[in-house]
Amino acid sequence: MNRPLRFAVRCRLLSLLAATAFALSPAGAFVHAETPDDGSTARTIAIREVPVWGQRPMKSIGVDRTRFDSVVLKQNIALSVADVLTFNSSLFVKQYGRATLSTVSFRGTGPSHTQVSWNGMRINNPMLGMTDFSMIPAYFVDDASLLHGSSSVNETGGGLGGLVRLSTRPAAADGFGLQYVQGVGMFRTFDEFLRLTWGNEHWQVSTRAVLQSSENDFKYRNRDKKENIYDDEMNIIGSYYPVERNRSGAFRDLHVLQEVYYNTGRGDRFGANVWYVNSDRELPMLTTDYADDTQMENRQREHTLRSVLSWDHLRSDWKLGARAGYIHTWMAYDYRRDPGNGIMKAMTRSRSRIDTFYGQVEGEYSLGRRWLFTASAAAYQHLVTSADKNIILQEGDKAVVGYDQGRIELSAAASVKWRPVERMGLSAVLRGEMYGSDWAPIPALFADYLLSERGQVVVRASVSRNYRFPTLNDLYFLPGGNPDLRSEHGLAYEAGLSFAVGREGGYSLSGSASWYDQHIDDWILWLPTTKGFFSPMNVKKVHAYGVETQANLDVALSREWCLGLNGTFSWSPSINVGEKMSPADQSVGKQLPYEPVWSATASGRLSWRTWELLYQWCYYSQRYTMSSNDITLTGYLPPYFMNNVSLEKRFGLKWCDLSLKAAVNNLFDEEYLSVLSRPMPGINAEFFLSITPKWGAGRR
Amino acid sequence: MRALNRHIRTFCAVLLCAAAPVGCMKWDYGTTEELQAPTSGLFITNEGNFQYGNATLSFYDPATREVQNEVFRRANGFRLGDVAQSMVIRNGIGWVVVNNSHVIFAIDVDTFQEVGRITNLTSPRYIHFLSDEKAYVTQLWDNRIFIVNPKRYEITGYIECPGMTMESGSTEQMVQCGKYVYVNCWSYQNRLLKIDTETDRVVGELEVGIQPTSLVLDRNGRIWTITDGGYEGSPYGYEAPALCCIDPDTFSVVRRFTFSLGDAPSEVQINGAGDRLYWINRDIWSMPVDDERLPVRPFVAYRDTKYYGLTVDPVSGEVYVADAIDYQQQGIVYRYSTDGELIDQFYVGIIPGAFCWK
Repeated sequence: MNRPLRFAVRCRLLSLLAATAFALSPAGAFVHAETPDDGSTARTIAIREVPVWGQRPMKSIGVDRTRFDSVVLKQNIALSVADVLTFNSSLFVKQYGRATLSTVSFRGTGPSHTQVSWNGMRINNPMLGMTDFSMIPAYFVDDASLLHGSSSVNETGGGLGGLVRLSTRPAAADGFGLQYVQGVGMFRTFDEFLRLTWGNEHWQVSTRAVLQSSENDFKYRNRDKKENIYDDEMNIIGSYYPVERNRSGAFRDLHVLQEVYYNTGRGDRFGANVWYVNSDRELPMLTTDYADDTQMENRQREHTLRSVLSWDHLRSDWKLGARAGYIHTWMAYDYRRDPGNGIMKAMTRSRSRIDTFYGQVEGEYSLGRRWLFTASAAAYQHLVTSADKNIILQEGDKAVVGYDQGRIELSAAASVKWRPVERMGLSAVLRGEMYGSDWAPIPALFADYLLSERGQVVVRASVSRNYRFPTLNDLYFLPGGNPDLRSEHGLAYEAGLSFAVGREGGYSLSGSASWYDQHIDDWILWLPTTKGFFSPMNVKKVHAYGVETQANLDVALSREWCLGLNGTFSWSPSINVGEKMSPADQSVGKQLPYEPVWSATASGRLSWRTWELLYQWCYYSQRYTMSSNDITLTGYLPPYFMNNVSLEKRFGLKWCDLSLKAAVNNLFDEEYLSVLSRPMPGINAEFFLSITPKWGAGRR
Repeated sequence: MRALNRHIRTFCAVLLCAAAPVGCMKWDYGTTEELQAPTSGLFITNEGNFQYGNATLSFYDPATREVQNEVFRRANGFRLGDVAQSMVIRNGIGWVVVNNSHVIFAIDVDTFQEVGRITNLTSPRYIHFLSDEKAYVTQLWDNRIFIVNPKRYEITGYIECPGMTMESGSTEQMVQCGKYVYVNCWSYQNRLLKIDTETDRVVGELEVGIQPTSLVLDRNGRIWTITDGGYEGSPYGYEAPALCCIDPDTFSVVRRFTFSLGDAPSEVQINGAGDRLYWINRDIWSMPVDDERLPVRPFVAYRDTKYYGLTVDPVSGEVYVADAIDYQQQGIVYRYSTDGELIDQFYVGIIPGAFCWK
């Protein structure tokens, strides 16, 4: 049986282990985990748990997974998932600015090689293939996991880099609950968070809302420009690097998440999750832009509704689940300028609409303690209308350049997991994916072996072949879409080792290291054409390999002190090993642009009674901006370190729990760039006040 | 209290160990070089990647075969900007049009140092001088051609272009015959416009085919343009591209050479004598202006190259071809003799797109 050990050291343990154990155990699947993520002021301190198993879960055989508990996800309520991943994972997060497009890539692959699911439903944009993580508030995620490389095949295809799995959980509420958080920060930033919960033995209802807005007009020294001083004859008599504000960077994002769960108590659970996003963001101007921002407007708006209905049916040795979902996305991009009469006129007016219908069934069957069989089938029907440009035809009529396409995507998988002896696990997954009329088999094999029970030392290995189909824009975008594109495909090998040790009442230490080696063929790149537009082509062959490590340490220093440390480190060369594109091509054998070879993160959390100090640090090595890895004055991004710190104090009042928090980002006021010509803020601060009223029995 | 101090010390020590390297990025900010260009040579504007602000300017001396890259950044201590589109020289001043930075920089062509700039342009493409105090600047995404005073670096007026809205606006290269300036309209357009420089008004339009890309004037006073024919699936149309010869007096097409459907010709150029045309159509092609048919053999054959820019030395007649390779690395420029023999090759910046002879 699953037997989680808990280090009860007067530190209130988070329920990572318990939740994991029960989720993997049919009997416990519907037991709600304790989730002390509500800013409670109990005089106990949370430390991370170490998964120590009597029997390791069958579904984890050979899997390389990084899991983020609610301590990490909620450590700064205003953060997006992009920020969380930046400081707590080995993934590379490429940020185009503050509250601007943020993409995530695993192991030297591209952003579109990262699959993202929310409550089981894949949410990658079917037009672009990627996901903007700056649009996912961490406040809306209760459970986040990274399935690295081959491990993603257990859940989906196409994750050549991996899968980011995001999900919500029932609120574990008994009666009515409320939490309100107000954040006020620099650059006229206002963040508001509200959560209402109600629950009883069978029902759990939760409403969450996030409203974030900011002028986002931080100051920075623009070293990509000089301001000239002229004399009367318009001769330059001096120049200087101007201190500019981030121009055209304002945003206002509203997110609402409604969830209802019904648990029959007899092995059935029904759930409904609806997430609405209303985003209105200006796109910041480049550091090299000399336009007058009062006469130009560059704005992106998005309305997205994601909804999932789920049913899980559980018996002692088998499990059945079904999901249905719908995603609607409306996106608008407007590039306008004032021609001089005070009226903004469109230079570019593009609109896109995506409707996705989703259905999935899945089942598991345990045959004794040695065998587990799983099967799943999922279908996505995408309907896309993209209107990119309004033109006047040769005959004088008006027309729209765009496309209107649909595609059905099917993914079915079956797996066998076998534990011939207690220490060894073997798993085989065969997935088939069909996009339109093209299909691909995606096989994966996993194995693990428990070297030492004492330190929970497990070695694991896996091999998989994976495919990523072209996106709808790759195929159909006008102009440039290429219907003859082939799928990107790769063969991946990896091996790893993990351990977990601890002493009851003292500490817990866990860590893992993984080596991987992956070849990706037919890598799709959008390249300019001689006709003035971009077009995607299968051009590159990439060899990505490296090592990822991570470690967690939680120490109960005394009855009132807790220390938590977390670190990751990765070495991830991603080398172009394709043919030369021309005799002069210098990119073969070189690191892919914008992919760091080295990266690391570290965070430390010190808790004393109702105080908590959090320090976060991350590092990215230099990134090339040219495929030839030339370092020129204009073509290179130096390495950078980022440091954030926050301090929180909780108060337990008679009628409510209060929490005050101050967070300082970019503590050392570093001048840094994630992408060329995209300004990033220097040191900045935000303050939060959290109120959690005590209702009824909760009032003491 | 002692326990508190000990724990804080422990925490700080661990953090300092983990986050010891908190130093700043090592930027090479603010350094400038005293550069001196020879009296003649070739400027190459390297577009850089759209939205990345990594356009650069290179200078090549054909006599010594030496190339200097990033001369604008090195001479001025700041970046050229986003998408360097074109450059012209007038009276020792080079005017570099930086499309997505909405700026035209004026530089001393000997030192590469900035002497002024024109800003607040919509999406500038090319500049054409009428006098020291008047020039036209064509635009993308604007249905106006801007009139500027280069001496004061000011926008002084606009020329409204018919048949286009702001969104579908596209005016490109310019040539002048007498008091008229001729402009090709490219993106989702099919016309040349004729502008009276005295009234700054469009006085004529001529349909030449879908998307005329470039424009030159030959020794006979005839205008040549080359269309790209659009693309398959375009609502604007898709047709076989053509090389057109236009009589500016009658403003009519007097000769038309049609390519195959699917070809993508661009960058029509002319030698210094004005008697031989060159263009890119996968290979590099050349044709005397008086020929009656298109050549059957290329001047320089395609060899897995992404020919992107083309120019002809107005004195020697040598041909320079820019290869963008994969558009993400330093492009290369090949220098050919008038017989098509390779003389030299040199790396420049990302996406070398246009040239300007000093």
